Amino acid sequence: MSDEFDLDALAESFLEFLEGEWPKEKAIAYERSGQAYDAGLWAATAGLGWPALTAPEANGGLGLGTAAAAYLHAALGAAAAPAPLLGTLLATTIFGAAGAEGGHELLAAIAEGSLRVAVAEPGSAAVETDGKTVSGTVRNLLDAPGAGLFLLRASHAGRPGWLAIDTDAAGVSVARRALADTTRSLGDVTLDNVAIGEGRLIRPADPAALDDLLTRRACVALAADSLGGGEAVLRITIDYMKVREQFGRLIGSFQALKHRVADHHAALVGARELVLNAAALPDDAPDALLAALSTEAHVTALTADIARDCIQLHGGVGFTAEFSPHLYLKRAKLNEAL
Amino acid sequence: MMTQTDTLAPAIAERSFDPISKVGDEQAFRQEIRDWLAAVLPADWRQQWQKVREADLKGVMNWWLNERRKVGLATPHWPKEWGGPGLPFSYQIIVYEEFARGDAPELETFTISLFHTPATLFEHGTQDQKDRYLGGITHGTDVWCQGFSEPGAGSDLASLRTSAVRDGDDYVVNGQKIWSSASMHADYCLLLARTDPNGKRKHDGISYFIMDMKSPGVTVRPIRQITGESEFAEVFMDDVRIPAKNLIGAEGNGWNIAQSTLSTERGLLIFSATERIARAFELDGIEAKNTWMRDVGLRREYAGFYAEMQAVRLMVKRLLAELEANPDKASATLPTFIKLNWGPLLQRYGEFLVRAEGIEAQKWEPAIPGTGHSSRMRFNDFLKSYGWTIAGGSNEIMRNIVSERILNLPRG
Ligand SMILES: Cc1cc2nc3c(=O)[nH]c(=O)nc-3n(C[C@H](O)[C@H](O)[C@H](O)COP(=O)(O)OP(=O)(O)OC[C@H]3O[C@@H](n4cnc5c(N)ncnc54)[C@H](O)[C@@H]3O)c2cc1C
Repeated sequence: MSDEFDLDALAESFLEFLEGEWPKEKAIAYERSGQAYDAGLWAATAGLGWPALTAPEANGGLGLGTAAAAYLHAALGAAAAPAPLLGTLLATTIFGAAGAEGGHELLAAIAEGSLRVAVAEPGSAAVETDGKTVSGTVRNLLDAPGAGLFLLRASHAGRPGWLAIDTDAAGVSVARRALADTTRSLGDVTLDNVAIGEGRLIRPADPAALDDLLTRRACVALAADSLGGGEAVLRITIDYMKVREQFGRLIGSFQALKHRVADHHAALVGARELVLNAAALPDDAPDALLAALSTEAHVTALTADIARDCIQLHGGVGFTAEFSPHLYLKRAKLNEAL
Repeated sequence: MMTQTDTLAPAIAERSFDPISKVGDEQAFRQEIRDWLAAVLPADWRQQWQKVREADLKGVMNWWLNERRKVGLATPHWPKEWGGPGLPFSYQIIVYEEFARGDAPELETFTISLFHTPATLFEHGTQDQKDRYLGGITHGTDVWCQGFSEPGAGSDLASLRTSAVRDGDDYVVNGQKIWSSASMHADYCLLLARTDPNGKRKHDGISYFIMDMKSPGVTVRPIRQITGESEFAEVFMDDVRIPAKNLIGAEGNGWNIAQSTLSTERGLLIFSATERIARAFELDGIEAKNTWMRDVGLRREYAGFYAEMQAVRLMVKRLLAELEANPDKASATLPTFIKLNWGPLLQRYGEFLVRAEGIEAQKWEPAIPGTGHSSRMRFNDFLKSYGWTIAGGSNEIMRNIVSERILNLPRG
């Protein structure tokens, strides 16, 4: 269980692996690939057991909680990694929630990384179902184009729940919507009389509590992703300011520039405290949701603005796709909008 | 594949248009341009042009330049002697105002051709150079680019290292330029190169050339931008021979001449830019009336941007009034204040729209040529704002100019 894990060591291993597996050059080249996610990177993370992080131990998972997920997402953000693990976190949360039925067979596949999941936003509109089939549209589903399973909000007999739908089931179609942030993907899902399989309608015992937990975890993960991204893009920028010369000086020696990165750095130190605090609160802490929501709002906006300034601090090269700051800006703006 | 004649052919114009004949009556002149635009420009030109790919870009740009030419407005701000309509300044303003109001395509590929090249040659070119090169713009479709910046010389342009060595009747040029807008389409380049590496100051010893982009030894490599497009490129020069008659002004006087080139960005060009955004700004608010304009916080932010936008427009109008009264007496500082307000404002407003429109603004569509900074695709416009905050003197350089040269604060 969580206590046995040294979270710092875990965090270190996430970062180290991605630095090797997904260096800046790969991130920059990937931008043009048109892929929904990087299959090689996904397979590598699955090999390391990352999708198993938050899955219950009974289903082959590690049973870790929000804090471990935060470290994982901070590392993914730092690398601008196209590995759709947010859906994995939320799916394990839904299936792991007390009272969920029938998730077990899917959980094993999710934990081993053979099944990627796109999960509808908690609180978003539900599709109506009679329990046997379902029709409807879900717009703007994050990571839908690369997923094998959708977890959609459903309403059955006036009760809220979640529907697990195989993306290749008859009647399912996904229209991909290109994003500015090419490290993730988005799609509109249409369900046309799709049959609902045995145990695929999940009725949590306390849907509102599950929504809160999902919201909390999603917020912490997005805030962590932005924190990692903000720290990384600032580091890249500071490194550049230490080598770029104009007027016979390193541009990092201009106060007009170094004071700005000093402000950004100080703000990120605060942001890190917020994320760690929000991530470490127990799931049932009364302020867990508020901490997550406020942290997400603050940190995603902060990093978006830092990344915006990092392009400016780079000058012309920052405006090219051959340098990486724009990847962070685009990812940060999407995090802010989610 | 779109060509200028098939898909873009507008509804048959019911009559011919001649705005130039209305000079003397501003209202009639304005109305004629409006009527002409309404008749000649397909209402859905933006949708059509969105399908235009890099290879066809010149086709649509040439089409629009030629349509303008038919009514005497290819080079609306040029004097008669060089093939322009010789409009009084107040009429030139009306032209750009109406282009903005009527959403006429921006001739992005021809920016240097229409503004920087004449600004340079009018003042410093030989009769021969003017005769030879201006005609290619007034009568043809010559694309010019500006080869100033180098990998090592951006903000510190004067440190440029591309060398030009006299050899008989030629100069032999070696070096590299970067960020040269439209250079992959260009016929000619306004080139700064060092003819004397031993000048006292780094500004000395720079000379100004017209380089034929088809010369042997010129290689152009487009650079992919964060918007996904490639509007600028690197230009490599490997023993390129430029005839000595293509030197503009005196050898070693390039730095001063470059100031004339850049001064063109301080008049109708910035006016056109701000008027176009002002028009887009109005539409943004109207189109959002059932969405984010219903959000009190966002509406208030929008209103704040309105005031800032107006402040810049008023500064620009004052500048134009001064230029009209006497170009030599126009404020030297106002253009700096305008740019320092405008670039950051455009970026913050672009960011605001991305934020206000939520997930929809995160979606990516191919850019639309001819729409400049108001493609109205939120993310694209937001990203393009760096063109104003980095290019042509970055925000930071502008602040140095204000603080050190205008406010006389000590140099850091
Ligand atoms: C969209 C676009 C179009 C362009 N088109 C052209 C073109 O057609 N032709 C052409 O020749 N060039 C063009 N440029 C180049 C442009 O002029 C340069 O990018 C600009 O001068 C900045 O130079 P740089 O990119 O080398 O950045 P750098 O000068 O390396 O600047 C890096 C950072 O350091 C800051 N900095 C530099 N010096 C100081 C200082 N003294 N004090 C404080 N801060 C400082 C800068 O503001 C910036 O934030 C274009 C650029 C862009 C982005």
